[in-house]
Amino acid sequence: MKFVGQSATRIDEREKVTGAAPYADDLDFGPNLLHAEIVESPHAHAIIKKIDVSRARKVPGVVKVVTGKDFPYTFGLYMQDRFIFARDRVRFVGEQVAAVIARDPVTAKRAARLVKVTYEPLPFVLDLKEALKEDALLVHPDLKNYGHCAWFFPVPDTNIAHWRKTRKGDIEAGFREADTVLEDTYTVPRYAHCAIEPHVIVGQCDLSGRLTLWSSSQSPHTQRHVFAAALAPLGLKHQDIRVITPYVGGGFGGKAGVSMEIIAAALALAVKGAPVKVRWTREQEFYNTYQRQGVIARIKMGVKKDGSITAIEHTLHWDAGAYVEYGANVVNAVGLSATGPYRVPNVKIDSVCVYTNLPPGGPYRGFGYSEFMFGLESHINRIAKMIGLDPVEFRRRNAIREGDTLPYGAHMNPCALVDAIDKTAAEIEWGKKEEAAAPNKVIGKGFACFWKAPAMPPNAASAAFLKFSEDGSVNISVSGMEIGQGYLTVMAQIAAEVLTVPPEKIRVETPDTDRNAYEWQTVGSHVTWGCGNAVKAAAEEARAKMIEVVHRVHGFAKEDLYLEDERVKCRAKPDFALAFKDFVINGIQTPRGNFLGGPILASGMFMPEFTSATGDPETSQGGHPNVHYTVGAAGIVLEVDKETGKMRVRKVVLAVDVGQAINPDLVKGQVVGGMLQGLATALYEDIRYSPAGKLLNPNFTDYKIPTALDLPDAIVPIIIETPQPDGPFGARGVGEHTMIPSAPIVANAIEDATGLRIKSLPLTAEKVALELRGIRYDDVKGETMGLCFMGDPQKYAFFAKSKA
Amino acid sequence: MSIACEFDYRKPKTLSKAIKLLAKRGRDARVLAGGTDLVGWLRDSLVAPDLLVDIKGFEELKGIGFKNRALVLGALATFSDVLESELVAQHFPLLREMAGMVASNGVRNRATVVGNICSAVPCCDAGPVLQVYNAVVHVRGPNGKRRVPIGQWFLGPRKTAIRPGEIVTSVTVPLPAKKAAGCFVKLKRYRGEDLAQASVAVLAFSGREYRLAFGAVAPIAVRGPRTEALLKGQKLSAGLLEEAGKLAVEEIVPITDIRSTKEYRSLMVEVMVRRALKTAAARLAGRGPAYGINVMEEDTP
Amino acid sequence: MKKITFTLNGESRTVAVAPHEVLLDVLRDKLGVKSPKVGCERGDCGACTILLDGKPVRSCLILAVEVEGQEITTLEGVGRDGPTPLQESFIRHNAFQCGFCAPGIVLAATALLEKNPKPTAHEVQEAISGNLCRCTGYEAIIESAVEAGRQGTARARKPAARKSANR
Repeated sequence: MKFVGQSATRIDEREKVTGAAPYADDLDFGPNLLHAEIVESPHAHAIIKKIDVSRARKVPGVVKVVTGKDFPYTFGLYMQDRFIFARDRVRFVGEQVAAVIARDPVTAKRAARLVKVTYEPLPFVLDLKEALKEDALLVHPDLKNYGHCAWFFPVPDTNIAHWRKTRKGDIEAGFREADTVLEDTYTVPRYAHCAIEPHVIVGQCDLSGRLTLWSSSQSPHTQRHVFAAALAPLGLKHQDIRVITPYVGGGFGGKAGVSMEIIAAALALAVKGAPVKVRWTREQEFYNTYQRQGVIARIKMGVKKDGSITAIEHTLHWDAGAYVEYGANVVNAVGLSATGPYRVPNVKIDSVCVYTNLPPGGPYRGFGYSEFMFGLESHINRIAKMIGLDPVEFRRRNAIREGDTLPYGAHMNPCALVDAIDKTAAEIEWGKKEEAAAPNKVIGKGFACFWKAPAMPPNAASAAFLKFSEDGSVNISVSGMEIGQGYLTVMAQIAAEVLTVPPEKIRVETPDTDRNAYEWQTVGSHVTWGCGNAVKAAAEEARAKMIEVVHRVHGFAKEDLYLEDERVKCRAKPDFALAFKDFVINGIQTPRGNFLGGPILASGMFMPEFTSATGDPETSQGGHPNVHYTVGAAGIVLEVDKETGKMRVRKVVLAVDVGQAINPDLVKGQVVGGMLQGLATALYEDIRYSPAGKLLNPNFTDYKIPTALDLPDAIVPIIIETPQPDGPFGARGVGEHTMIPSAPIVANAIEDATGLRIKSLPLTAEKVALELRGIRYDDVKGETMGLCFMGDPQKYAFFAKSKA
Repeated sequence: MSIACEFDYRKPKTLSKAIKLLAKRGRDARVLAGGTDLVGWLRDSLVAPDLLVDIKGFEELKGIGFKNRALVLGALATFSDVLESELVAQHFPLLREMAGMVASNGVRNRATVVGNICSAVPCCDAGPVLQVYNAVVHVRGPNGKRRVPIGQWFLGPRKTAIRPGEIVTSVTVPLPAKKAAGCFVKLKRYRGEDLAQASVAVLAFSGREYRLAFGAVAPIAVRGPRTEALLKGQKLSAGLLEEAGKLAVEEIVPITDIRSTKEYRSLMVEVMVRRALKTAAARLAGRGPAYGINVMEEDTP
Repeated sequence: MKKITFTLNGESRTVAVAPHEVLLDVLRDKLGVKSPKVGCERGDCGACTILLDGKPVRSCLILAVEVEGQEITTLEGVGRDGPTPLQESFIRHNAFQCGFCAPGIVLAATALLEKNPKPTAHEVQEAISGNLCRCTGYEAIIESAVEAGRQGTARARKPAARKSANR
């Protein structure tokens, strides 16, 4: 292949490196632009008794003050449980209660302080243990009345918003068959996405009633759809709404679906005629978009002496926060896949989505897999040790292969997990003990496998439009988002391969829902696969049209015609070569002097028609909820300073089976970037709440994300290519996967180096240093430094008893 | 997020005019130099002055000089100025080592050393180093000039000996009378920019004399007099280092906050004191790692 | 309001500002210079980096009134006559992903190369360590700057040097 498989230069790089690339906040809206400041709840849970906006309204420059009374509607992607503005009650610290719209941001900020909200504080529930008690305080007493997607199963009059149950084989028989059974609990706290661009959206409802939004979003069409659904009571329909999304300054799931964007949509309707901007501060970015959900995972695993897994019982309770409209689907995805990439004959998974009075949880790169793989891959090392089997060999023996039955009954797609395991093990020289130079340091090695499938509704579709310009260059309009992963370039390379036009002559436009073809969302690492298929179909349609017109004019047999080097050529007549630029707009002249053909236009679409979400609620058997899994393995060489707990990553390796790397350099970019993001969640990112539910570190001063000084000494990507039969040129997704194994490889390496097994994330230097001295971190961390809520796995051991 | 408070901005022509202005406006006015702390506080509404007096124009407050056997850090000397100064590199390498660990380049180009000790947060990096150098803070106000020894400068978190209407004009750092070498150790959550979880500054002199100071483990940067006494005249044996580390922990009062537990702070101060003493002594002997290395992260040869 | 005059990307500009207006906002909203980005507004992320009298600083921590008479360069002023060799190196390496941090990092690296034309990887890391990037893992960014130095194309902002770019 000429273009696919090549490390082409990103088609957006020049724009980005010169500062030319526009992001939503960079667009100009003229002097009529209004600015909104949000009045937020200081309480984790309270009744709103009264909102007095009279003083704020009188401030010169204030145009309007809006509260929940003005927009008494709910919204949500998978469950309609979230409010445009809190009505009657607030459910987390920072929830939007009112908005002041003013001529300038300073006036808005000053006036917002004059909005007087009277609250009656209520008891609140921050801890899962509390939230799941029999007589727990209910975060959503109305849960039973909420609309939701067909594959959610809320438990009315509890805090359980969704409970995904997967049952395969006979779990009890599986444990009976086992020679060794290990059961333990692992905890993973919340994390924040930390895209460097905060959410920003400008909404404008013109006087004809047309609502346009310029949004920093991963999901323009889904936003339009959610806006239309939420604002339907005001008579708004899809045709009235247009969402335009320029470049996005990082997503990681945080800009998927609709979170704060609903506010701008509503405010635009409140001040018709003028554009209104809602730009989140860094603080709001942390507490009022989505966070990665925390989880308490109880794992019981049975194995035979030969290392084969006989049974996995995996019970996961998720701290999903105050609203779960998106987060519950993370819970769902894990409930289908929490065996990891292993052949497990007997499976029992309970993945339970629990409301708390903390900020809303939601999608984050990895979509739940990073969270459950921490416990699972830690557990595997421990049980392998118990039976005296090398942990890499243990994984090898149990590794999933093509055709294996998945936990929900469908079959595994082509993959080369064993190959990934072997290559990774070789690269980190697994089994070879390394000595540190300094006497206070020790070196350990860690290993883990990973897998992940896109979590998509069964009818999530992608589409593409394609057209030519006079010079034979191509213009593609799709609605996936360039969130940094290189999607525009990959789409160009796919079209290039079909059309023989080099990628640098292909423009791929960022979305505008009025003009670009449909895309469900840019999530789940699916756009290379899904939208890639649509672009490939569009390019193939264009190719067919080009061949058709040449055939009509020149009379060559269609099967003799082919494209090469931007020309149509003919096998039967080697000297024939018609350059695209000579006919793709104005057609081909016939001997009679007239022209045949015209502008070459094409479209393509893709929907995974083989999927369904109709599995049995009690077992998940019967449906085909996931399109495919991307699998791989990762290993680490970690140096630990026993005195300080400080860790240095000497080398980290990640092998991933991407089917076909459309652009190997971009795959490498995903490996390096994703691995560093994952290592940060393992080593130092550490979110803290006060006992009253207030986020204590909503900034980069105290929520530390990696700097250029925090790189591992070496990151080695290994690309494996076992083609995905239904993928474009065999490709499948790779975006999220690269951060999934980071935490367990670190935990396993710490144990290898020091003998210390830590079962709660993060694995900070502080925690390691304290535990190495026999001090339990959870005993000393105290309240003044904030609660992690999920710190101590022991605290949650009782979950073992909550059987379905 | 905009700054919501309203204030006046003045940039007087002379220092004496600035002092008059500050004296007149008292607590309603604040001095603006690098602004890297102040602008953030204004945005977060932590302060709401009526007037900012920009002192960046005054030549006499600029730069780094040497006078009366002491380094003179003008009030406008930034951490980058410290890093770039030959004088500092040659004679006050400990100061340079500290400056290299403050925030990042983009902040250091603007943030001043004097501003750092005026903000006086417990984790202030300059504090411990100026403590071991026995630096002096020079203040000018409506009643003339004052010299405040650094040991009397810090009064509490964000509290200093400055009085309303006064400006710090410089900090002077006396050249050690004897041959000296130091080590600044900063405990951070990772290698990148961070506020100190704890910091230790050691200055070792020929003749086996040592000064120690600590940051972020007490309300203010503090010296370790008992540890210094223990070490005085002694050869740094492994046993003595051990003992010094343990004693140092008795001289601090760490708290648990969002950046660290007090337990970790204590344990690490013990380690940091050991490593800093060892490194400083090695440097004094002409061995030891080059300045700029963080001995909490890197292997020391 | 106070009128201030300063040099912006080689051109003298005058603008009326209130004392509380932050330089970053004035550049973006009053002068239409959009490359400095709003990322954290407290000096932590570096997305708002500009060169003030040649040195990288945080424009979110500077009041606009403070820059009277000074010289400001934003990314718009660096690649005005086409991408510099350093920028070309970033392009060749696919160095940026979402690109939001790019203006700050390109400026920080430009300033480094002007001071230190052949930086080591560690020197690049140190120079850009105040510029947060969440996408890339920094590796390609560091390589790009080191390579630009190695190729002797460092004096990035001088048009003459730009023409001698090693392509």
